[in-house]
Amino acid sequence: MIDALFNQTNYVAAKKMLDATALRHEAIASNLANIETPGYQRLDVNPSFAVELSQAMNSNSSQIANLQPALVSDTSAIANGRDGNTVQLEKELISLNQNSIAHALETQLLTGQLLRLRLAITGRPG
Amino acid sequence: MINLLTGINATASALDAERVRMEVISQNIANANLTRDVDGKPYQRRQVVFEKILNQAQAGNAGASETGVQVVRIEKDQRPPRLVFDPENAFADANGMIAVPDISIHEEMADLIVASRSFEANLAVVRNARTMALQTLSIGKR
Repeated sequence: MIDALFNQTNYVAAKKMLDATALRHEAIASNLANIETPGYQRLDVNPSFAVELSQAMNSNSSQIANLQPALVSDTSAIANGRDGNTVQLEKELISLNQNSIAHALETQLLTGQLLRLRLAITGRPG
Repeated sequence: MINLLTGINATASALDAERVRMEVISQNIANANLTRDVDGKPYQRRQVVFEKILNQAQAGNAGASETGVQVVRIEKDQRPPRLVFDPENAFADANGMIAVPDISIHEEMADLIVASRSFEANLAVVRNARTMALQTLSIGKR
């Protein structure tokens, strides 16, 4: 019964997106750490995750809980030098900032949903 | 163990590695005119070799995982010394030539800038991780 409060599609999806954002931060941290390691291939969250998440949101919301973002090496990135390293500083810093804003959005989404739930229970805002 | 600052292990290892690189560069600059190293030969330029380190705890999992960086070794640059005419020098040979390390200050300064930019990029990651951790901790508060 109480589970139903926390099983709304948007709430579960926001949680999964937050997971993916935290994981992407880990990928960016690794990429910037290895910016000059010869032969290093940049990491990213698997691109299929976003597709699967939007499919699951449209069709069957119970599938969302089973989705799991994972880190994969980005084979599409092209090496920018002869050492085979595929990290580009500017791109990584941009995605670092994008990711930070995405994280702010997702935490605020979760907070908004929890506060609305509290408002519904208590009848008092906050 | 829970990790509030995601990716902090990779970033910390990178800050460490970049600091070692800066130390090696300052050693090169300091010894740019050293004609007698401990082995009696002119000082040879040193350079660091970076290699990635995989997180042991996550290495067993499928897929990639957070990857740090380390200085695996410090190599001696094998470029030959420069010969300079300096007959007054106590170590000059019969022709008045003396072998000095072939170290270019400009090259070292360029490397130093690259190292400090990489250091700054990693500090930006830590700042972002901190902001994200504080946001995560305030979920549910208005």
